[in-house]
Amino acid sequence: MNGATVAAPEGVREAITDLLKRGLSEKLWDAALVPARVPAGDSFAWLLVRDGSVLDETLPLPPVMAVQGARAIYRLARRGVTGKVAAVLRPCEVRATIELAKLKQVDLDGLVLISVDCPGALPLKAYLDDPQKGDADFEKLCSGDDSAAREVCKVCHLFSRPVSDLHFATFGMDSGKSCVVAGSDQGRLLLEKLGMAKAGSLDKWERAVAERQEQKKQARTKAQATLSQDVAGADKLLETLSHCINCHVCRSVCPICYCRQCYFESQAILMPPENILERARRKGGMRLPTDTLLFHLGRMSHMSLSCVSCGACEDACPSAIPVAQLFSMVGDATQSQFDYEAGRSVTEPLPTVTYKEDELAGLVAPYTETYDAREASP
Amino acid sequence: MKGPSMGNEFEPKILYILCSWCGTGGAETASAHGLHYPENVRIYRVNCTGSLPAVHVLRALIEGADGVAVSGCHPGDCHYESGNYHARRRIANLKKILGTLGLGEDRLWFRFVAHGEGRRFVDTAAEFSDHIAALGPNPLTTRKDT
Repeated sequence: MNGATVAAPEGVREAITDLLKRGLSEKLWDAALVPARVPAGDSFAWLLVRDGSVLDETLPLPPVMAVQGARAIYRLARRGVTGKVAAVLRPCEVRATIELAKLKQVDLDGLVLISVDCPGALPLKAYLDDPQKGDADFEKLCSGDDSAAREVCKVCHLFSRPVSDLHFATFGMDSGKSCVVAGSDQGRLLLEKLGMAKAGSLDKWERAVAERQEQKKQARTKAQATLSQDVAGADKLLETLSHCINCHVCRSVCPICYCRQCYFESQAILMPPENILERARRKGGMRLPTDTLLFHLGRMSHMSLSCVSCGACEDACPSAIPVAQLFSMVGDATQSQFDYEAGRSVTEPLPTVTYKEDELAGLVAPYTETYDAREASP
Repeated sequence: MKGPSMGNEFEPKILYILCSWCGTGGAETASAHGLHYPENVRIYRVNCTGSLPAVHVLRALIEGADGVAVSGCHPGDCHYESGNYHARRRIANLKKILGTLGLGEDRLWFRFVAHGEGRRFVDTAAEFSDHIAALGPNPLTTRKDT
């Protein structure tokens, strides 16, 4: 595989910023969507930049994911954008954007998705507490020590090359060098226009990515087996969720949960007092607000097929529930049974909108002709 | 045939969700033929199994049902052409969620029952009831902190 080699003596962030500036000045795009440090200095926010000089204030690939990029794009490109906007995203943010496009919540026309090899992100709260330490931790993360990374990032095997238009390859590359790989026709055209179609070998990068992918997959399997031991079963699951304060912030930060009227925020979930009193009578008592478990299981049934394991929910949870780890484990299970991977392809249909006539044979309970039982027998 | 109950065995609460075209038809055929199904099975009609929200199944399993069975038209027979195929996928998804979290995917069954299959309807109700009785009570139904 080939890609355009770009000099990145100051690191890949500089190389990305340079590309964005060139694109703006050569009118390849009208604006760039990039993270920038907030004035307080302890977090990052998305900035839609139209003036190239403002790009100096931005920081592609920030140490934390304060707002999932797909949520920023959703606000901008729900009905498509006029002109062109280049967005610099982590691979999980690209995958969430692709899912939103398939859910008809983002129009990809007019967007140039630029991704970069992702070393992971730090927990948002840790960074807010101590940004200096956070910056140092992120340096470590970039050099391969992921002990400070978020749990979902530690076991992320989809850290490279999503279906973006342009991807910055850094893993396994010589220092001071990066490669831009085109992932679509639009990407190839852009590289040509930028005079960057010159080929450079990507063998080293591909080997490094494959090796890391293998490591991460093994770590993922192991982490999920441990998590399963900790949370599986009614008692353990309810213990894990017992800190939930029903704030639903996991839902409101989730890039996939786009519904303007969520069932769990609607009037339909509110029951008359006699209903709640009856449930309390049946169970002997009832925790209020009600339906904590129903919210989490229901949300899984609604969005786990599109879950990209980005970890935004866990970063936001005020009660330190391992929401992202739970949802990512369930998402892996639900997606794999339909041989689906969220964000893998724009054309692959969502499992809920398609079906095969002959599938899931093991699911349908086999019928025992004239079942002989206590009740059924004459 | 088993002996009379001594009154101390576990009788599960079963919710049997039927589509209004085939599943419910199966129940009607059963009644026309004088067939009986266990009294601990409550049947619940939805327009199409494809329109059954996953939340209804989950709520039942959390609030009191020891098991939930779902029956709709056979493949190719759906009144709305593809509702049963979508239902099958949705149930598969739910079973996977329940299974992954150790909440008992066996407590949810899916089986096609046609309008004329009264026998199949009562058999399914009885078989599922016995299956859930063997599994024992659903621990979620007695938890106060759900």
